[in-house]
Amino acid sequence: MKRFGKLEYYWLGLIAITLFNTFLGENFESTAVVTILVALTVMYKGLVVIDHFMELKGANRFLRIMMRTYFFIFPSLIILSTLF
Amino acid sequence: MSSIESSNTLAIFPRRWSEKEAGRVPGNIPIWVGILSELTEFGIFFTAYFIAKFNYPEVFASGPLSLNTTIGVCNTIILLTSSYFMAKAMSNVRRDNLKKCERFLWLTFVCACMYLCLKTYEFNWNDVQGYSTKTNEFFTVYYYMTFNHFLHVGWAGCAILWVIFRLRSGAYSSKEHSGLEALAVYWHMIDLMWILIFPLLYVLR
Repeated sequence: MKRFGKLEYYWLGLIAITLFNTFLGENFESTAVVTILVALTVMYKGLVVIDHFMELKGANRFLRIMMRTYFFIFPSLIILSTLF
Repeated sequence: MSSIESSNTLAIFPRRWSEKEAGRVPGNIPIWVGILSELTEFGIFFTAYFIAKFNYPEVFASGPLSLNTTIGVCNTIILLTSSYFMAKAMSNVRRDNLKKCERFLWLTFVCACMYLCLKTYEFNWNDVQGYSTKTNEFFTVYYYMTFNHFLHVGWAGCAILWVIFRLRSGAYSSKEHSGLEALAVYWHMIDLMWILIFPLLYVLR
């Protein structure tokens, strides 16, 4: 029997988050709450891909820090954009 | 420093940056130079997006409503799936399961082709609706970002074919597969950029 591993759960989770984000975007006005929710889920998606698909968890720590910083900066800018 | 050591390293970086102290570099150093350059390039695009959105809020509020969200969602799912296939290809090459590795690389390539076809259809759909790079500031940013990303998927797709050819000619094994790993991290970087592009252009208003 085929094993349903961690990678498969992450993959399904990422697809579920994408559909959830689209649902939010399509059905609700773009309020600050929706924008923050989308930004946080984008951050989470990025971190999952960096650590588990790109396999930087346990690899070179400087590369991991750089990649993770990128996915803190731009989702934070999305949140920041709600203030203006 | 011994002669062997000096011939293998550039010796221009601090010792704490070395693989021995900071951890293994997946793929190779040149691909990471490429990846960091691409991240800078896309970083400029994202910054341009935020500046344009700040200056033209109405245009950016109505812009996503003009796009074909279904195609955007399909492309996101296709790229996430391609990343999953690529990760599976990597896990199989580590177990010397080269046949399975090749199968997953082909699946990744199919995903790349599906993405390119859907994106071409989307560009054509926009054209039929009367949208172009000159429609407004939102569409200028949209085409700037998505066409650039389209090109990245295109040439990385060609790289997948090259890696499949190398795999079939016996260049990779569980012990040596840095070329395949370099492609894998580059492919994931392309997926990561789409993870950011999708909500900015299709979801947030």
